[in-house]
Amino acid sequence: MKHMLIRVTALVALTTSLSAQDRGADPLSRLDPSTRYSVELLLDSARHLGLPYGPIESKALEGISKRASGRDIVVAARRVFRALRDARAALGPASSSDELTAAAGALRVGITTTQLSSLAARRDGKALTVPLVVLADLVTRGVARDTASSTIFQLWQSGAADDDFLGLWRSVERDIVSGTDPGVALLNRARQIPAKGPLTAVPPTSGVRPPEDAKT
Amino acid sequence: MARQKLPATAVAVSLVLLTTGEHAVAQSASELEMRLHAGSARTSGAGIASLYQNALTPSLRFENTSFTLHAGAAALSDGFAWTLGDAAIRADSRHQLSRSVRAEFAADASRIALDGYAPSQQLDITGRLHLIRERGGAWLGSGVIRPLRVATVSNASVSSGGVWTKVHDLTLRASVTTTLFTRFATNDATSDTSLRGVVTACPVNQLAAVTLEGSAPLPSSCRRESRVTDIETGLNWERRRVEVSLRGGQRFGHRLDVSRASRYWGSAQGNLWLTSQLAAVIGGGREPGQPTRGLPARSYASLGFMLAYWPIPRGTVLVESPANLVKSFELKPAGEALQRLTVRIGRVERVEVMGDFSDWAPVPLERRGRDLWELFIPMGPGMHQINMRIDGGRWIAPPGIPSIRDDFNGQVGVLVIKG
Repeated sequence: MKHMLIRVTALVALTTSLSAQDRGADPLSRLDPSTRYSVELLLDSARHLGLPYGPIESKALEGISKRASGRDIVVAARRVFRALRDARAALGPASSSDELTAAAGALRVGITTTQLSSLAARRDGKALTVPLVVLADLVTRGVARDTASSTIFQLWQSGAADDDFLGLWRSVERDIVSGTDPGVALLNRARQIPAKGPLTAVPPTSGVRPPEDAKT
Repeated sequence: MARQKLPATAVAVSLVLLTTGEHAVAQSASELEMRLHAGSARTSGAGIASLYQNALTPSLRFENTSFTLHAGAAALSDGFAWTLGDAAIRADSRHQLSRSVRAEFAADASRIALDGYAPSQQLDITGRLHLIRERGGAWLGSGVIRPLRVATVSNASVSSGGVWTKVHDLTLRASVTTTLFTRFATNDATSDTSLRGVVTACPVNQLAAVTLEGSAPLPSSCRRESRVTDIETGLNWERRRVEVSLRGGQRFGHRLDVSRASRYWGSAQGNLWLTSQLAAVIGGGREPGQPTRGLPARSYASLGFMLAYWPIPRGTVLVESPANLVKSFELKPAGEALQRLTVRIGRVERVEVMGDFSDWAPVPLERRGRDLWELFIPMGPGMHQINMRIDGGRWIAPPGIPSIRDDFNGQVGVLVIKG
């Protein structure tokens, strides 16, 4: 049974790998020339600025698979580029690609660079990826941006770990599905997480930047 | 509910298979299902000769978001000839009153044939209010039972309440059901043997007049206002190819209404899915008597196979909320830079995922059981984005993981793999 499982694992992994290779070394070739040119300009700009360009290319490929128009793909890729740029400005140059990608997702749902900077200031060597992913999801599900941001900030500075944030997310999601107001669900569940460090600063609640969607 | 007290024959075993849990009605797809159960059963009880029978039980069920139709019957053979055994047709209607409260109505016509007893036919009409949350619910209901061609009871009224909850693969249920009816006391062959000689008997000719003509007055000495209360608990457990159902209960009531054999009961059933459409079925236990049908308690054991088939072709299944169909979505490490993705989702033909790990090219999952799908994904530590789709439908964010907007009018799931 174990050997069979290994064989299946190897086979499927190999198949997946080959399948990816079959699509060729230039996956952007599936874009029309005009769209491809615009996307490649963004990729070059990202490289030039030292930003991770993988998320931009990934967004373009995602658009192709979801049959988005060339214009929509360029608009989406441009949003990712801008968000990555703003995220790095907020989090600092030492931020990882995953952190920047997660922060870009948070910026695109309306979290401000000020709020991101506040989180980054309390980093203490820990990765911000999971808190930012959870923050972006909560806002997407209807939690007010300030409420979500301040709650995540409080947990972050009190020493909450990735598992705490993911556990919080699961609980809040369950409550929302059950009909609880998203903001109330978040506040109630956050109270159940024990603090692991000192609470000091006042969480940032003011925003200076509207969500990306509000501008389009 | 009165419908839960089906007799313990192989036929009942098959019918129980069709109502294996509350989750079945929570799904939001139109579906046509056909099943055929073939097996053998041994039935015994007080006043019943031990009986081995072969049973062939076809059934059909159509379900969509607002109603379910179910029909089933059984052909029984004692080795010499085939006869019509149990049969049932049932319609359930569901109306959402608010986000989490649902009104449910059910109409049921059924026939139960037990060797040595006249076939019992009965109409049931019930309604209930059902509070449904994500992991559990509670209901209150009432209804009327109309026995046909049974000389032991009048119409019966039923009141019930219950709760259920889901914990991972386990569904737990508990219910209380009270049945009120007027017993026409008699000591003929159709009565509960434990009551013979205890209750004042009606003159046979007078009882026959009531039963057949329905108009003759019955002496008050022949009537008995009866009340029985059943407390029942049950559980369903499903994991990969195995389904297990357990139930047990206790009946309360006057000794003239509840025989000693019907005070406690319990049963168990297991299904092992050998393929996505074939299962081995084993069951056994003890069932209480059914006073509205005049049938006694009995024990049973059964063994058989079941074929399941979903004839609505792929593409015509109306999936309104595909994420609701997904029972679980799990990713676990399976080696260096390799993740094992398992998705539990039944009654679909194709499940695919795509994400940055596949350069956003769709990758189909392999079917590993009746409702288990599997894929090994080369995925290293870090943040990944993933979408899934069912039967070629819309790309959705998998349930159970955070998601964000995808900039293409949809959502994408986000995974963070630890290093």
